Order: sequence, then C-alpha cells, then structure tokens
Amino acid sequence: MSFAQKLAQGRFVTLAELEPPKGVDVAAFVGHAQRIKGSVDAVVVPEMANAVMKLGSLGGCMLLANKGMETVMQVCCRDRNRLALQADLLSAAALGITNVMAVEGDAPNLGDHHKARPVYDLDELELMQVIAKLATGKDMAGVELEGAPNFTVGATINTGAMGTVQQELAALDKKLAAGAQYFVTPPVFDLDSLAAFTKHLGDREVKLIPNVLLLKSVGMARAIGRHLKHVHMPDELIERVKGAPDRVREGILVAQELIEGIKAAGYSGVMISPLGWEDRLPQILGA
Amino acid sequence: MIVANGKPLEEIIGVVKGHRKILVAGCNECVTVCEVGGTKEVGILASALRLHFLNQGVEAQVGETTLQRQCDREYVVGARVTVEPYEIVVSVACGVGCQFMAEEYNKVPVVPGVDTSFMGGALERGVWSERCQGCGTCLLAKTAGICPVSRCAKRVLNGPCGGSTKGKCEISKDVDCAWQLIVDRLSSLGRMEDYEVLTPIKDWSTDRAGGPRMRIKEEVAS
Ligand code: SF4
Ligand code: SF4
Repeated sequence: MSFAQKLAQGRFVTLAELEPPKGVDVAAFVGHAQRIKGSVDAVVVPEMANAVMKLGSLGGCMLLANKGMETVMQVCCRDRNRLALQADLLSAAALGITNVMAVEGDAPNLGDHHKARPVYDLDELELMQVIAKLATGKDMAGVELEGAPNFTVGATINTGAMGTVQQELAALDKKLAAGAQYFVTPPVFDLDSLAAFTKHLGDREVKLIPNVLLLKSVGMARAIGRHLKHVHMPDELIERVKGAPDRVREGILVAQELIEGIKAAGYSGVMISPLGWEDRLPQILGA
Repeated sequence: MIVANGKPLEEIIGVVKGHRKILVAGCNECVTVCEVGGTKEVGILASALRLHFLNQGVEAQVGETTLQRQCDREYVVGARVTVEPYEIVVSVACGVGCQFMAEEYNKVPVVPGVDTSFMGGALERGVWSERCQGCGTCLLAKTAGICPVSRCAKRVLNGPCGGSTKGKCEISKDVDCAWQLIVDRLSSLGRMEDYEVLTPIKDWSTDRAGGPRMRIKEEVAS
C-alpha cells in the first residue's frame, strides 16, 4: 500500500530521512535506502538541508524510485523562483514522484555557500497553494496544463516556537488552508511536551508525524537542549545517555522507545532522521 | 533614508591612484544623516587621501565639495565648474548620486566612495536598521506596520518560518524574527484576524521582476 493510501486510511506511516551525498558517489545513499526498503513507507530526501550544497532532492528521489522505493521530495523556496518550482513539480510528477513536502529552506548564511543570493520568490504557504493550483490543471499564470500533477503534500510545523498556542494554531490553520495533508514536527525527545500542544488541536483534522532524531552523543543532546530553544530536551534523558554503559546502544534504545510511544499515542506516523547513523536504521526499525 | 557604509580607504586609493586631481564629492541628504558622505566625511576622506599621497611623495590635488543632492540633475549640473577641472570624482553619495554624477560628466570618471546598503532609519546615534526594500506594493497595512520583505531573512509573507525561535530569527540570535514582531503586534492591536488569512501570492513585478523602475507624475513632469 502506498504512503498516501496509508496516510488517508489513518494507518501508521514510517518515514526515514536520508541525506543524498555531496558528490556523485551514490552507493552509500542507495545502499542505506535499500537496507530499509520494506520497513519504511517512504524515504524523505532533503533538498540541501542547512543550505549545504549537495545532490538535490529530485535526483535523490529518482535514484531511489529506480530501485522501487517510494520517496518524499522536498521542494524548497530558497533556491528557485516560481517558474523553476513549478517546472520541478511537473518533472517530479511526470517521473512518478507524487509525495512532496514544501519547505522554506534554511538561509544561505547557515550553510556552505554564504555568498549565495537567496531567491524566496514564494514562501512555503504560497508554494503549497501553487501545488494545489497545479492539481486543478492550471499553472500559476492560469495557463492550462497538458496533464495535471496530483501530489500528497506535507508541511512542517514548528510546535513550541511562537509566543502563544493561539498564534501557533493560527499558523497551523493557514497551512491546512493552503493544502497541507500532513505535518512533520521538529525533533521530539519528550512526548509530553508535544502532547501539551496537540491537546489544543480541537476538531482539526491534523495528521502529525513527529520527527525522531537519533541521539549520537551526550554532546549532541546538550547542544540540542541549548540551541534549539523550541525543542524540549529533558535533563533526565541527557543523564540517562550519559550514565549508560554503552551510549550508542542507549541512543538507539531511546529512539526505539520514542517510536513506540509515538505509535501508542496515536500519531499518524513517525519520521526518523539518522543524521550520520544511517547504518543503524535497520536495527532501529527492526528490519 | 538610504544608508551606506564607507568603503575601505585602501580600496579607494586603489581606484584613484595614478590620478593627480581628485575631487571628493559629498551629498547633503541621506549620507549626511547617516554620517558617511556629508561635508564632514568628505573632509576626512580628502585629508586621508592627501596624507597618503604625501607619504608616497606624490604631488596630488584633492578637492572637496558637497552637493545639495547628487540624486537631482539640477544640482549635479550646477556643479559643473567645480567638477570639470578634476581627473576623477570619488562620490560619497549613495549609488544613485554616484550614477547621476557619472551620467552628467562623461569625460570624468566618477567612482563610489561608499557601499550603498539599504533603506532604513536611525535607531539611535550611529545605529541604522533596514526597513524597506521598495517592493513597489506595500503590505504594511496587513502586517501591523512591520515589513516582512525587508525584515524577514526569507521574505516570508506567511510567517514565521520553521527557523523562528522565541522571537529570534534563525540567521542570528541578534536579529528579531520579523514574523514574531508582526504576530505580537497584531495581537496587541486586537487584529489577529489579519494573521489568520493567507496572504495572496505576491506579485513581484512591481519589484525588480519588471526591470528598472520609473515613476512619472504627469501633473508636474514636462
Ligand atoms: S512591503 Fe514593500 S514597500 Fe512596504 S515597507 Fe516592505 S519593502 Fe517597502
Ligand atoms: S525566523 Fe522569522 S525573520 Fe527569520 S527567516 Fe524565519 S520568519 Fe523570517
């Protein structure tokens, strides 16, 4: 069953995020994906995350699609204007990639090409409206398309970042209005803090896919707690990893427990980001 | 006002070296207010150039002038007797002034002495902050008077983006997130309903997408 079908039927979906390489040696990227084929519903291929130049999402998705895997392509506002974004969406759909996620894209000064001129012709919500428009058989200029693409559209949600819950709900409602069918959250380490937000959702039909980031070290856990102000990193978790005889194993256990907790709490799915620990994904997924 | 930064002296020297008659030309408007290209700064730059030539043992004449407005042909033309005896002009007006000078004096090279940066205002003496990018279709009525085009690093019109954290922008903890400012101000104005509607997709044709822009006020243009 496809990712879109499972999502629509309310069945739990598992996504894994795999970074394409900076370069053209794709053996490791494809290899990691193949090892988890069958235990994930789709592989999310980021589009130059953190504004670091590398093989793009469309190319990465094609490589995996050729191996019979389902993918989620990221469409990013940072580097392309409305012509290029629409062209990429048409290319993707024509090549069989129908899951997309609209992202704003990190600002270039955070990446490895500081001198780049960012584009930001459209923002994430404008882009989602464009994706919806293309599905009606017309482009942004209102010109008829020869064949309309039909996408399953994901978006990001930034729980805990704004001042008040009311403001966050207003932002969420706009994304829903713009056509978001599911939402990926920032990394979650504490399901209670996420639940504190979700209890305000009321009768909104929101499919939330929490992001589980693999904790590779105590230093990483501390850095997340310190720098990602809207991500709650419980002190007990840092202590637990610190005190564990085998910290690597503990990091994996933490991820597995989070995934189980997310399933039990009734979320729509989970997205796992291995961040360099791709070779441990099969173990985490029980593949 | 238009805010500029002085170019490094070495860069200016690199451009004017070889010339023996150099005019430093300032402007009485924005660059005076942002303390980079008024009479005072013209004097400082001219003195620095004179000192440089003196140290090099080169005999050079460095003149000083400040126009009322370098971005106004009337004043630029009026400076003819001052400008024409020189071999090169270093304009410490904004990029507009520098070009107006260059367009008028086609026998004299006119080079910039400042890097023109943005349209903004003075927060306090010596601190200027960007406020407008001249997008040509002002959105401030919908955004509580805070401009997302110039103040949001990603020009997000339906913000904030995922990088906003506790009021700060992802590009730097010293930069306020424009969208947090907008949302907070809309809430304090009791106008959160403005935030709840999707901003229509922006027409950038009034920005640079339509090429160089021009404004003609028919009643007064001859
Ligand atoms: S919306 Fe456009 S015109 Fe208005 S302040 Fe911002 S950049 Fe300037
Ligand atoms: S953090 Fe705020 S100001 Fe910075 S890019 Fe995102 S929305 Fe814009």
